[in-house]
Amino acid sequence: MKIDPRTKIIIVFLISSAAVMITELSSLLFLLLLTLILCRLFSVALSGPIKKLRKLLYFLVVLALIQSIFTPGGEVLVTAGGMRILTTAGLETGISIIIRMSVIVFSALIIASAPAMDVVYGLIAMKLPYEIAFMVLLSIKFLPLFREEFADSLTAVQLAGADLVKIPLKQKLSLYSYVLTPSVIKALNRARFISLSMESRGFRAYPDRTSYCKLSMRGMDYVAIIAASAAVLLVVSYNFNIIG
Amino acid sequence: MSFYTINSLTFSYAKTDKLFQNISFDIDVNQHIGLVGPNGCGKTSLVKLMLGILRPRGGEIYLEGSNIKDISLSDVGKKVGYVFQNPDKQLFCPTVLEQMRFSFTYGSSEPGEDIDDKINYYLKTFDLIQYKNFSPVKLSRGEKQRLALASVLSRNVKFLILDEPSTGLDILRKKELENCLMTLKQEGKGYMIISHEAKFLDKYVDQLLRLRPEGVEYV
Ligand SMILES: Nc1ncnc2c1ncn2[C@@H]1O[C@H](COP(=O)(O)OP(=O)(O)OP(=O)(O)O)[C@@H](O)[C@H]1O
Ligand SMILES: [Mg+2]
Repeated sequence: MKIDPRTKIIIVFLISSAAVMITELSSLLFLLLLTLILCRLFSVALSGPIKKLRKLLYFLVVLALIQSIFTPGGEVLVTAGGMRILTTAGLETGISIIIRMSVIVFSALIIASAPAMDVVYGLIAMKLPYEIAFMVLLSIKFLPLFREEFADSLTAVQLAGADLVKIPLKQKLSLYSYVLTPSVIKALNRARFISLSMESRGFRAYPDRTSYCKLSMRGMDYVAIIAASAAVLLVVSYNFNIIG
Repeated sequence: MSFYTINSLTFSYAKTDKLFQNISFDIDVNQHIGLVGPNGCGKTSLVKLMLGILRPRGGEIYLEGSNIKDISLSDVGKKVGYVFQNPDKQLFCPTVLEQMRFSFTYGSSEPGEDIDDKINYYLKTFDLIQYKNFSPVKLSRGEKQRLALASVLSRNVKFLILDEPSTGLDILRKKELENCLMTLKQEGKGYMIISHEAKFLDKYVDQLLRLRPEGVEYV
């Protein structure tokens, strides 16, 4: 069964807006659960991305720790030399940050699981100007391009005799920043060639574009959108004590 | 002991469809070898395996007796100079001059060696001196190739691997490359050249290694 890309876009939009609005830890947990269920239903494979995101998670934990240290309130859990280090309120803030970011990342995976072109067609069908829809596509493509260029440069750097493991941290940092600029330039150049070749095939020659791919929302799509909105609404109203 | 020992090497990108299987050969440090085979037969991949950029699916590669998987890329780079097939992948510095200097500042330089002299010599040989302060991304295809060659040839390495080094060079510059290869031979340094030009190879290599999916053979 094929789900219309618009359905995915709408649902992800709903979930990530809710993630920003919600303040209570318990409601955030419900939202995370809902997101995971939706990932399951859209058969988004989570194990691969989770592995890739492990480094980001590490960064998030550090961020959360800093947040929890600087948020006062609640009971004091850890003190050092008369100074409050960790309070219950701080811990709650830290955990909410991690959960909120996970909700946003996991819901974004729902869109990422659709072929990139489908997302573009979906955005166009939602009345976004097609130039902008393609721009979104190009910017999504840019990050992998950049990563590839950067990795290639690092290989070349090492084969030129520089030891990235053994050199002191300061030199290592300067080396990385040194290689960064040319990598950005190369990735930008490649993105520019993509847009050039698109234009040379008539992109933007006319205000409108017809397309071979016709999207259609079917019963299943409406059911999915309604069910997801209902669930999100439930979580949001629970958060603001409208129900329960 | 040979410089390179390749022992029943097997490689493929995907899980299926082996690019080549059970390849074995030795290379001495002063050998001059040409690696040939049709487009897409895996010449560049074989070379990347020999440098430790890619990992084999089976078999081992030894460089001066130690398994390549136990040597860091930079240590391989200090022994073997590699000119990439695509110069865009090789040039990473903001200016031509810095690209030439990089190996000496971050890699290794021999004591008492006049680095500036050496760099200037190779910049002149490959007609790049007027581009000294240019960004490598702005050079033409042939100029990039010349810079890639100059930056590798100027280094103190025992062995060179050149992946289609004459691509994009005009007649004059190809002559310069040939002179450099001649000098390398006189200095007793070895190299392996991938090329599709039989005439070029005939003159500068002693042996041709043909790569086939089922194995390699000297021809
Ligand atoms: N990163 C990669 N991922 C998947 N397949 C690849 C990758 N790089 C190369 N290949 C494939 O492996 C095969 C061998 O590529 P390789 O570059 O080694 O060939 P080659 O002998 O150097 O060819 P040429 O004479 O054109 O330089 C090709 O079919 C190519 O499509
Ligand atoms: Mg090749």
